[in-house]
Order: sequence, then C-alpha cells, then structure tokens
Amino acid sequence: MHLQLITLQGVRVDQKIYELIAPTADGEIAIFPGHEPLVTLAIPGALAVRHEKADRDEQLEYFAISGGVVEVNPNAIRVLVDEADHGDDIVEAESRAALERALQMRDEAKDSIELDQARQLVDRHMVRLRVADLRRRQRR
Amino acid sequence: MASTQALKGRIRSVKSTRQITKAMELVAASKMRRAQDATKLSAPYTLAARQLLTALSKHTSVKEHALFKKRPVKTRLMIVIASDKGLAGAYNANVVRLYANELVADDKAGIKNTTITIGRKAAQFVARLKDTEVLGSYQELPDRPGGREIHAIMDSTRHLFESGQVDAVDVLYTAFHSSIDQKATITRVLPAGFEPAEEPGVAPDVVYEPSAEEVLNGVAYRLVGAQIFQALLEARASEHSMRMLAMKNATDNASDLIDDLTLEMNKARQSAITQELAEISGGVEAMNE
Repeated sequence: MHLQLITLQGVRVDQKIYELIAPTADGEIAIFPGHEPLVTLAIPGALAVRHEKADRDEQLEYFAISGGVVEVNPNAIRVLVDEADHGDDIVEAESRAALERALQMRDEAKDSIELDQARQLVDRHMVRLRVADLRRRQRR
Repeated sequence: MASTQALKGRIRSVKSTRQITKAMELVAASKMRRAQDATKLSAPYTLAARQLLTALSKHTSVKEHALFKKRPVKTRLMIVIASDKGLAGAYNANVVRLYANELVADDKAGIKNTTITIGRKAAQFVARLKDTEVLGSYQELPDRPGGREIHAIMDSTRHLFESGQVDAVDVLYTAFHSSIDQKATITRVLPAGFEPAEEPGVAPDVVYEPSAEEVLNGVAYRLVGAQIFQALLEARASEHSMRMLAMKNATDNASDLIDDLTLEMNKARQSAITQELAEISGGVEAMNE
C-alpha cells in the first residue's frame, strides 16, 4: 500500500507502508491494504505509520499533524495536511515551553485575531507534546 | 579642486558602503534561491485538493457551499502582503500603490473596505489611512513560512466571510514570475473559484465520512488556505529577488563613484606636483638672475 503525506511545504512521505493509523473526527482509524475507498477528515493529532507487517508497535513512525483530509483507495493513501512534524524532530522541553507561552498568549489576547492565533498555537503544541509522549513510551 | 585628503576620505567611505551592499546582495541571492524553491513545493497539495474537489462535485453541489457562494460586494477584505524590511527597491512601493488604487476604486463604488496586513511596511502605510478598517497585522513571519502562519489568518477570514461581514476577500501580493520579473498583483480568494481537475484521482464509489458536505468543507478551506499560502511564498521570493537587484545596482553605483573619485584624486595630486615643480623652477630662475 502506497502512502503519500502531502503538506504545504511539499511531499513529506512517498513510500510503501503496511498500516496507517490516523486521527479522524470519529476517532482513530487504522487502515490496512485493501481498505474500501474512503475520504475522511483528519483532526490534529498523531499519525502513525507501520512500514512492515512484522514491525512491532515500538517501531511505528509518528508524525504530529494539523487537521487535514485522508483519502483512501484500496492500494494507496493520500493524506493532505497543512503541516506534519516528524516525531524525531520534536523536542519535548521546547514544546512544553511553547505550549505555556501559547496558553499565556491566549489569556492575554486583545482581539479576535490574536485569540485565533493563540488557539492555533495551543492546539499545535498539545499535539506535538502528545507525539513526544508516544515516542518516549516507545523507548522504554 | 578638493584636497587630496578629503577625496581619500570619501573614497574610503564609499568603499565601505559598497562592501555592505555587496554583502546584502549575496544574502538576498541565497535567500531568493531558497524562497524560489519553496514556491514550487505547495503544488502537489493544491493539485490533490483540486482533485478531491472535482470528485466531491459529483456528490454534492460545490457551488452552493458557503465559501463558493457569490453575492453582491458591499464590503471587501484585502490581505496586503509586503515586507518587514526596506531596501528592496520598489517592492513595497509597488504593493502600496496598487493598494491605494484599490482603495480609491472601492471608495468610488461605495464599498466598505477592511484590511489585514502582513509585513511591517504594509502596517506602517495602512496605519495612516482613514479609508479602511484594519482588522489585524502580522509581522516578523519566519523566512520559511509553514502552514501554521496562515491558520490564524485563514480562520478569521473564513469567519468574516461566512458570517457575511465581508462579501469578498482579495489578496494583494507581488507575484513571482522569474528572478527578473515580479509584479504586484491582486487575486480573489473568496468567494472561491473552482476549476475541475482533469483526473479526480478518487474512486467513484468512495465513501465520505462523516458526510460529503463536511469533507467538502474541509477541502474547500484547505484550497483557499493553499492559495493564500502560495501568495505569501511568492511575495517572499519576489522580495528577495528585488532586494538582490536593488543591492546589485547600489554596488555598481558605488563602484562608479569610486572610479570618478579616484580619477579626481589623481588629478588633484598631479596638479599639486605640477604646481610645486613650477614653484621650484621659478625659484631657481630667480636665483640665476
């Protein structure tokens, strides 16, 4: 099954995989080869990729994604998101600090635009932290 | 004629100016290359979104969607993209001139105008105007913008449009055609236009979850966002290439100036020597008599 992860900064992943776990509005869904054609909305969260059937959970590759669209065909998946950060690129301490700054910004926002901006940041860093958390559990 | 000393001083100062403009030219050139590459990266995203939209248009009426609905324009939102820094030739001046023309046109047509600015130079210009209401200004966006920079802009834009507070949204930016051709341009992003893609890329019997309408919502939003994002990227690439050109001209001018000043200094030195010689030979003549 072929996976394409497309972001505004270009194509991030373009390779064969075995399983994709994606966060959607109705909960997490796992997609295996031969899945029926489906288009659904992804919500901000952790996207997990299993490359080979024999891969254990510890070997999953994670991406922190912003919301987007998941398009499933029997042997190809296309994930369209604004942004995807690889789990390895996320530094937990940095994200935690950034989340705190964002929360503070949200509380001090003066107009609706500032509030929108702050909310976006809060969501984003929460997702990143969750991915960092998943990664840490893997290493144990 | 100016003294040799004074000319020497001027040459030195022009030389150091040239050094600075040369360095700025090189910096702008490398930034331009990166920005230019970035303008091409969002193409797969836009294509995929358009393909999805084409597939969706067979299941649900795209034209009736809130983001696509056309209505008479009574209020208009303009998103003006300029730079944070100056010294980029006519870059900001071109954007601001086009913006001012649009404002005059709106004023004549009786359209109420609101503005969101990106970049300090745009914010500075708009702050002095009375004809428009400024909804927000974004400054110091990073050199390599990611998707999140436009999220906030997109969300407030969409909210304004859907709630009927504005009837149209235009983006004013500098389109990047090539490294020597950039033009201040205005593009309508809302109500969104829709051109069907040739190949849907999606199976016809596909299931939409939670519903076709909601997926359409998400896709339409992303397509509009991608358009604004692309404008931002092109504006960046244009800014850097115009700055590079401006700095190259400044460097060339400084070189010319140094040549002229050097010539003048040599002349001044030569005439001082000639005069001294004339004085000496005059003295010798006087002694011989």
